[in-house]
Amino acid sequence: MGTRGFGFGMADANITVDGKKITAPAGSLLIDACKNAGIEIPSFCYYPNLSLQGACRMCVVRVDAPKMPKLQTACTTTISDGMVVTTDSEEVKQSRKAVVEILLGNHPLDCPVCDAGGQCELQDMTFTYGASESRYVEPKNHKQEQQWSPVVFFDSPRCILCYRCVRVCNEAMDVAALGVENRGVSSLIVPNGGDHLDCEECGMCIDICPVGALTSGSYRYKTRPWEMNHVSTICTHCGDGCKTTLGVRSSEAGMEILRGDNRDKSGINDDFLCIKGRYAFDFANREDRLRQPLVRKNGVLTAVTWEEAVTAVGDKFAEVKQSGGVFGVIGSPRSTNEEAYLLQKFARSTLGTNNIDHQRTADFPAFVSALAGKPEMAGSMRDAYMVPAILLLGGDATDEHPLLAYQVRNNVRLHSAKLYVVNSQEIKLKRQAAEFAQIPAGTESGVAAFLAGDDSAVAAIATAITSADAWRALRETLRSAQNLLIAFSSDLQGDGIANIAKFAGSVSGAKVICLADYANSRGVADMGLYPDLLPGYASAAKAGLDLAGMSAAAQQGKLGALLVVGANPVYDLGFAADSLNNTFVVVQDMFLTETAAIADVVLPSASAYETSGTFTNTSGDLQLVKKAGDLHGTKPDFEIIVRIASAMGVDVSTLVPLGAGTTADMGQSRGAQSGEADRSAVYLQKQGLEARVSPFDAAALFDEIQRLVPGYDVSRMNLMAGNDVRTTTAGKAAALPASRGESLRPAHDTLFSSGSLGRYSRVLNSVAENRDSKLVEVAAD
Amino acid sequence: MRFSDAFEARFTEMLTHYPTKRSVLVPTLLFAQDEVGYVSEDVIAELATRLELTTLDVRNVMSYYSMLVTKPRGKYNVQVCTNIACTLKGGDELLSHCAKRLGIGHKGTTADGQFSLEEVECIGACSWAPAIQVNYDFHENLDVPKMDAVLDGYAKK
Amino acid sequence: MSVVKDIAAVAKGMGITFGEMFQPTIVENYPDGPGPLKGAKFQERFRGAHVLQRDENGLEKCVACFLCAAACPCNCIYIEADENTEQNRVSGAERYAKVYNIDYNRCIFCGYCVEACPTDAITHGHGFELASFNATNLIYRKEQLLAIKPAQLGEGVTFNKAEMDRQGSTAG
Repeated sequence: MGTRGFGFGMADANITVDGKKITAPAGSLLIDACKNAGIEIPSFCYYPNLSLQGACRMCVVRVDAPKMPKLQTACTTTISDGMVVTTDSEEVKQSRKAVVEILLGNHPLDCPVCDAGGQCELQDMTFTYGASESRYVEPKNHKQEQQWSPVVFFDSPRCILCYRCVRVCNEAMDVAALGVENRGVSSLIVPNGGDHLDCEECGMCIDICPVGALTSGSYRYKTRPWEMNHVSTICTHCGDGCKTTLGVRSSEAGMEILRGDNRDKSGINDDFLCIKGRYAFDFANREDRLRQPLVRKNGVLTAVTWEEAVTAVGDKFAEVKQSGGVFGVIGSPRSTNEEAYLLQKFARSTLGTNNIDHQRTADFPAFVSALAGKPEMAGSMRDAYMVPAILLLGGDATDEHPLLAYQVRNNVRLHSAKLYVVNSQEIKLKRQAAEFAQIPAGTESGVAAFLAGDDSAVAAIATAITSADAWRALRETLRSAQNLLIAFSSDLQGDGIANIAKFAGSVSGAKVICLADYANSRGVADMGLYPDLLPGYASAAKAGLDLAGMSAAAQQGKLGALLVVGANPVYDLGFAADSLNNTFVVVQDMFLTETAAIADVVLPSASAYETSGTFTNTSGDLQLVKKAGDLHGTKPDFEIIVRIASAMGVDVSTLVPLGAGTTADMGQSRGAQSGEADRSAVYLQKQGLEARVSPFDAAALFDEIQRLVPGYDVSRMNLMAGNDVRTTTAGKAAALPASRGESLRPAHDTLFSSGSLGRYSRVLNSVAENRDSKLVEVAAD
Repeated sequence: MRFSDAFEARFTEMLTHYPTKRSVLVPTLLFAQDEVGYVSEDVIAELATRLELTTLDVRNVMSYYSMLVTKPRGKYNVQVCTNIACTLKGGDELLSHCAKRLGIGHKGTTADGQFSLEEVECIGACSWAPAIQVNYDFHENLDVPKMDAVLDGYAKK
Repeated sequence: MSVVKDIAAVAKGMGITFGEMFQPTIVENYPDGPGPLKGAKFQERFRGAHVLQRDENGLEKCVACFLCAAACPCNCIYIEADENTEQNRVSGAERYAKVYNIDYNRCIFCGYCVEACPTDAITHGHGFELASFNATNLIYRKEQLLAIKPAQLGEGVTFNKAEMDRQGSTAG
């Protein structure tokens, strides 16, 4: 990203900037060309990939050839061959100094109080280009600060009218919740609700504000940017895998997360985060987080030591195993790959059962099976921003896959990509669609069949809006599209996915993305949290019980022990609470959930932000999850499982490969700060000595995953450096039965809910309540 | 909300003049104001729907132009120019006379709703200064007695 | 002759000794002197234990901008900021320091924090009796660093509504 759409494919132009020869595509912006050549041109209103404003006049330069009468704004000047530019003359400096002085004319000098202090572009510019004294003696025009929503505050005197917020909201987010009222000096940024915002609450306006005019309700007045540790990790909410840089400080509880953003534009999401990524990390800091293991004694859950709790679990598990009892294991689509892999390994080798399952939100086995032998057909999240044509089939990406929707919108806006939307509802992305085809609810598989060539399927999908003829025309359009990217929701499974893959195979360069709901839904599927599938989708010799099977077994009192890791089967997986009376239930969770409340042992686990490992997003992009810090009293699920195995008398090195031959932990398991590698481990490895890894080191298990799980043979160095790397669908799924009868439980999350985790986010709840109350007001009018 | 047939005809014709719908907004706002007397909430909502804009967009455009108002004003909007040419020829006296006679100030409206008064920038009639504009009609080369005559004329209408 | 020489030398030495005995003393009589300073005297510029100043209304001057902590070469200042509310007004601006700790185990009394402070909130006082047998005692909290409230405002002056309510209930 960073290059404007119209800069592509143009001839090169040679220009001279400050005596330095630069080559850049003709027609690209002077400010971009200079930036790429390492010449800094200051600007406020210019922002890559947003429309040009030319409002701040900070980027003015002298263009000597072709001779221009006045200073030119570098952000709107396109370059042509032979251009000669001066960016650092006295004249230019004087002009910039004047601009800063005028901006500061009414800007309050309340930097000590302002939240932007330390990360304020106006502050930086004043230091670099401004004058130390102002000639203005007039009193400043003060206005009261306004609260526009639970998370957005606006202080208008600080606003420098760069219109970045308005543009990002209109263009990148397509929400249009912000506008400019009045003109000239009385211009004012205004929200669409009059005195409040009625929007997606993504916080992009706050993020992009160069000064402290827009501030975040959850972060303001708490700390300073340089006071925090910054850890870039992966958001734990939806399946898109946005990278988020958490601002963390130590607290009495161990650590406190203060903010999340992605200002450095690392990762697959550029600087985008939705409301969940930006604010909904606050569940991790709730006071009601479990911080001590609980064991049921005389019918009451009692706080005990880790030693006692783990021993109780180990003894009981050993006993159940001895007596030939039935085990059930339920994993979570929010566990890291390492935890999921370890959990299934523990279940299969230590407990000796295939009764393992998780909340499935997409039919990945069918997807991998359909793409068997054609790994190049699996699309990545980056493709959504780059391909010339996109087909969205089912689901509401704006709500369920905010990043995908963002990239699609920007692709349409900046690269003129063609978007085709097929949905039973008029979803918001219809506004970007070149064509919108409406189908009767629940007929997504009919669309897949029709696209794959079954003409008889058209009767079921034709509607008043999209006739049978229109469908045939649309199919022809799609067939002739180049590099079509198809993203389909969980409405498609089994044969439907096979049909889509078949259709994609007939379109040149087509790619497919299967959309799932949780942060590591794809990863835990790859890791084999299935009763009938091993890691890499290899069929198990004998299928175990799935969720329904375990529930039925519990109902009949045949389930001896149930290990629940990060899931809440009583709440959302169809387990009756009283059916587990005769089952020894062990729950590893952050909160005393409905399931934990009836458990025999509850082990307080760490959140994804307190864990290290890897996540595979819904499109198969593998990214590093870094530990932001430790919360006292909790342990990562990985460590808990190893400890349980150890308490059962198992040699843990059979679960987690230790010692020689494993790759060094690069520091991420210790919660080392972003980018810092464990030097001693690197040194030891370089010397050919044994890398010191503990049995709780997820990175040690990742070695095994790389070796044994097909598709995970990725560049380790690239991954450790913080990049997203592609896993492939090279699985053993080709031999899967055509229809496994996958039972999906899609989350149907909106921007303001996040499975059973969203309930614990105060910000998410307050924003959702605020919206509901506003809706009630409107309805009452 | 319903507009007159003349408005509808004009609106439909306007749409053919521009490549995008939103370009019609500024002239249409003025037509609607002429018809309704001011740009009411209903007008804003209606135009936003018709032109596929948000009401925020319409408000933003509106607030840019001082000739568009969101509150009802008098039947006759007396706009007195006080730019340089008119001021030299007595524009300020005209304004203060109007204010005294009508008993209202800048942007005020008389109690009976007949007149409203506004001090405006140049109306392009410098050669006949001092000049005023009442609704869309110009009155030029004025002095205080002539001004009274003009106001009397409107009061009798 | 050597005896005379020796006596002369002793007499010369004792002369200086006895002469000095009647000079005014230049050693401070600390800690046995009078007054609260126990005889200690300071130059105005002496940099002792910090004092967090209040404004004329008795509100704290510190707005928790973190600049002192940023300027500190030995990282001894720890701050947690929070927002002033109607109910709880602590400082004059929007934010205040909920927690303000100085670790005197580390502080080198360089005065950079005082230089950095944009609101003249942190200053060096003349406190110097900081010695302790327990290192944890050397972490001073905000309550220990704050200046007393201005005398003209009277004893019970407060801007904290919760505190006011509490005082009202105990008084009544």
